[in-house]
Amino acid sequence: MVAANPIYYIALPLLTAFLLPLFGKLHKELIRIVPGLLFAYLAWMSFVLINQVMTTGQPIVVQIAGWKPPLGINLMFTPFSGFLVAFINILAFLVWLYSYKFKKVEFDNALKYFVLLMLITAGSTGVIVTGDLFNQFVFLEITAISSYSLTAFYRGRDGAEAAFKYLLIGSLASTFVLLGILIIYTQLGTLNMADIARNIDKMPQSLKIAAFLLLFVGFGIEAEMFPMNGWAPDAYSQAPGPIGAVFASMTSKAGLYALLRLSFTIFDFSVASKLLFVMGLLTLIFAEGIALRQERIKRMLAYSSIGQIGLIMIAFSFNTYLGFFAGIFLMLNHALIKSLLFFSASFLVYNSPQKYIRDLNGFGKYMPLTAFLFGLGAFALVGFPPLSGFWSKFYLVTAAADKNMIFLVVVILSVAMVELVYYFRVLHRLYFAEPTGEYEPKRPRWNAALAMILLAVVILAIGIYPDMVTGYIGKAAHAIMDKAGYIQSVLAR
Amino acid sequence: MNRPKLKLRKMNSLEYLKIVLYTTSILLIIIGLYAVVIKRNLIKIVLGLSIVDSGVNLLFILMGYISGGTAPIFSPAVMEKIQAGQSVSMVDPVPQALVLTAIVIGFGVTAVALALVIRLYKHHKTTNIDEIRNLKW
Repeated sequence: MVAANPIYYIALPLLTAFLLPLFGKLHKELIRIVPGLLFAYLAWMSFVLINQVMTTGQPIVVQIAGWKPPLGINLMFTPFSGFLVAFINILAFLVWLYSYKFKKVEFDNALKYFVLLMLITAGSTGVIVTGDLFNQFVFLEITAISSYSLTAFYRGRDGAEAAFKYLLIGSLASTFVLLGILIIYTQLGTLNMADIARNIDKMPQSLKIAAFLLLFVGFGIEAEMFPMNGWAPDAYSQAPGPIGAVFASMTSKAGLYALLRLSFTIFDFSVASKLLFVMGLLTLIFAEGIALRQERIKRMLAYSSIGQIGLIMIAFSFNTYLGFFAGIFLMLNHALIKSLLFFSASFLVYNSPQKYIRDLNGFGKYMPLTAFLFGLGAFALVGFPPLSGFWSKFYLVTAAADKNMIFLVVVILSVAMVELVYYFRVLHRLYFAEPTGEYEPKRPRWNAALAMILLAVVILAIGIYPDMVTGYIGKAAHAIMDKAGYIQSVLAR
Repeated sequence: MNRPKLKLRKMNSLEYLKIVLYTTSILLIIIGLYAVVIKRNLIKIVLGLSIVDSGVNLLFILMGYISGGTAPIFSPAVMEKIQAGQSVSMVDPVPQALVLTAIVIGFGVTAVALALVIRLYKHHKTTNIDEIRNLKW
């Protein structure tokens, strides 16, 4: 059997995506089965690698093609990046399981869907796992181009419009990132993140600020940071249902990771965390305010997702162990819960063309399982006790209180109230409104139901027994704080 | 006596050329951004994106340029010079490799963008961005 190695996260999905049309020529069902086998293997590898890294405490550093780090490209599987990569790939398997029967009769569309799903997974994993700034840019573009295509997947809807909007903002982001990389390269002559971090003092202050801001804005656009996140609600609502979960759990996490690596490892500005804090707070308040007014369920979920990104940025901006701990916990919970919400919501509005929340009147009776799972996700996101969302909110409030930021505790709790209001509006329609019978309910297929139940079980299990993940998260939080250790592990060999 | 003078003049013209090229690349970026922000025609916006890309790529190549440098290849002529004990200056190959990648990425993005424009045109029968407003902009 092949050994576990972080390079497979990138090499195997790209290779399989390339070969998938040929598999399709052999047998039509292979285009569904082969990606599943791949994602199952990557999910298994994630378990193996993350346990290895957590027990030894040493990051796995892969040198590509035998060139030593400052010259060659290296992959970094630290407890922090490894944790993110692990849950992204496990979620990718669940997304595959959910969409196994996607476009059952349309062979060409199904083929495109699975190829793009593998590319977007490989791209966002690559952004997180790479140790080279330009390489990160390339993976960001792989992710972005597959996101544009997935947004425009449906011909009938306004997908092309949403995708064009996303593409405009995305190309602007990539130009900013490229200019930032250009400034760093001309000043330091290196692209390796650890090497840049070691020599960052040699840059003149003005150029350092320019490069930092260019990269911050560029990665911030991918991370759905305010005010450049106008593309996100359209992209979330026009893309196929499971892809909303992919955007929330993978691409935004990749952008966020790049933002954090930039602020805490590569550059040494003390204002970076203040900038994160201000942007996070603006993102949070803006998104939750707009989410309250949304009438379409997927746009509401998208704005709620942007709000969670704001919360995560605030948690990291404390720059304390507790803050990092809460931030990583929030990232995990956001990925799990938002995936469950998108999965269940796209079945709830399956047959209503405009996806209005008012179309859901009385659906709790017709679709008991899906509606129940949506409710569970909503409760978990708001942070009710026996569910995983409670713990991340709890640690976030603890971290804020630890910094003596009482006003922030108030903000976090009032935002939870706002979330409660707009999720309860949906739940109220589901369970207490008179059914209109206007739209045919759609029962989820067994594979989709299984994926949703698995997610719900994980959310419940983490909620009841948080020690299951806190050990990992603690080590991940130590890893992102340990800048010297990161540089050491890349360059001292 | 003549030689240093000649060298100085050559340097000056190179410096002059360099300033022109830097200005060009920055102008290209500004023109492209102008097109993206101001123009209402979808095709012109895509053109603007391409122009921004070209400006950034030109800037990258310029950054890697070393005055009097040759192509970074150990060609027979270069090897002869090295064996004769002469010093050889080469331009930095890394920005060129980066630009090759960036060009390919820019090509991919432009292709996707044009495909989307075709789809939008078929759907709305117009390429004016103001008339395509099913979603909130």
